Amino acid sequence: MLSRDEDDRLTHTGPGTPAGEYFRRYWLPAVLASEVATPDSPPVRLRLLGEDLIAFRDTEGRVGLIDEFCPHRRASLFWGRNEECGLRCVYHGWKFDVSGACVDMPNEPPEYGFDNKVSTTAYPTREYGGIVWAYLGPPEHVPELPKLEWARVPQSHRHISKRRQETNYLQAIEGGIDSSHSNFLHASVEAFRVTDAYREKVGNSSNLRARYHLLDKSPRFTVKKTDYGLVIAVRRNAEEDTYYWRLTQFLLPSHTIIPYQKGLSIHGHCWVPRDDETCWVWTMSWNPEAPLSAEEREAIREETFVHVAVDPVTFRPIRNKENDYLIDRARQRSESMTGIHGFAAQDQAIQESMGAVVDRTRERLGTSDTAIIAMRRLLLNEIGAIEESRRPFAAHHGDVYWVRSASMVLKRDVPFEEGARELTAAAV
Amino acid sequence: MGVAINPAHLVAVRDFSPETVGAIAEHLDVSTDFEHLVYREAELDAVWSLTGFALRQRADAALARLHETSHRAHDLVGEGRPREAAALLRSLL
Repeated sequence: MLSRDEDDRLTHTGPGTPAGEYFRRYWLPAVLASEVATPDSPPVRLRLLGEDLIAFRDTEGRVGLIDEFCPHRRASLFWGRNEECGLRCVYHGWKFDVSGACVDMPNEPPEYGFDNKVSTTAYPTREYGGIVWAYLGPPEHVPELPKLEWARVPQSHRHISKRRQETNYLQAIEGGIDSSHSNFLHASVEAFRVTDAYREKVGNSSNLRARYHLLDKSPRFTVKKTDYGLVIAVRRNAEEDTYYWRLTQFLLPSHTIIPYQKGLSIHGHCWVPRDDETCWVWTMSWNPEAPLSAEEREAIREETFVHVAVDPVTFRPIRNKENDYLIDRARQRSESMTGIHGFAAQDQAIQESMGAVVDRTRERLGTSDTAIIAMRRLLLNEIGAIEESRRPFAAHHGDVYWVRSASMVLKRDVPFEEGARELTAAAV
Repeated sequence: MGVAINPAHLVAVRDFSPETVGAIAEHLDVSTDFEHLVYREAELDAVWSLTGFALRQRADAALARLHETSHRAHDLVGEGRPREAAALLRSLL
């Protein structure tokens, strides 16, 4: 359980809050590069860490990220004209460049030189891995970009999507590192019941998840602190002399990688606070060795796993709480535990059902929640370090993100670190 | 000679018996690393949860003390004070 104070310290991310100051020390995904695809394309509004912002690509291809509201009369620059290296407010014509400088102020007498003295809040951006990243922190602490594998493979090898979730970011991360829920939330009815037919179907499957994951419903958790955050090792019984291990990483401040089986594509997330009650769920699928296959792209389109269809403007999933995530009660009776299509929609439905910010003073944890406890404690420690004016190590050492998740079957006497060594070093 | 306590192993919290609480205290005595403290937090969370559920069924002063003590011990672990948490648990045994 967490105390009220700890819960608040973790979940409030607006300017001046402890977690807000922590997140502001990292590069964060802001918008898809494709949202601001071409010079002078329409501006895009977004909320990040409780701040309302506008992203735009100027005439020279630079991406600006500035306060949504014009400093003059607080009109939204979303309605602005993106023209000649700046975004012009259509209310009184003030124009701002990507650095936030006011470069034109036609409604004030030019002899006053008022425009030279005016600026708006602007944050630095970088384009990396198909995403525009933003840094909202102090200029003297600009961090390194994280050397994440998915960001460094060719574009043909990856697919990135984002969706808006109606919960605090922490709830979403907790779902991402909680291996035991998938035995229930993401299971088929026959897998949950472990019917003979199911055993026969998966008995010789080369897909380890299908074969072992759902047969042992009480996994054992081991956590290990690393330079990038945590590695979470989850052990399930496999054969008499073997264990099925799933290793996932939690990478500061809020990235996770789903356990990967060699030969299949890899999936990961970044959970970014939009404000205290909503978050951006960035989802990445990638193959380090080859372009994503037609089969993998088909799975993405069909929303069976980690990606969902979203409204192209709001990025709210088509399956959402207003339509009960299109639950199919007939399917729930006969096929799937939830009756909701796709892992991502299942996660979103259950996490949103807990309320926008779950009250962690009222939860009842067990030892299967070890990974969640570790992640919260690590974040609390990191937030405390910022308050003591210590620099977050991972933010300034992008190389530590060069890791990969793993899943494998090992002899019971082989430590997971040893078995995973070859699989976990990223390969591109 | 007793069996060496390994702080990297989770104590199986199946109940809130003196044996379970004593085992957690023994592990607290030798816990030093981040990972050890996380495991102790998880164990104390489990004791707190189990005692909380039991208190819904019956009012019991000793149980209420254990519930409250596990909460305080949990917070001490969070503050990096496992030895004090162990002493607190032992005060109930």
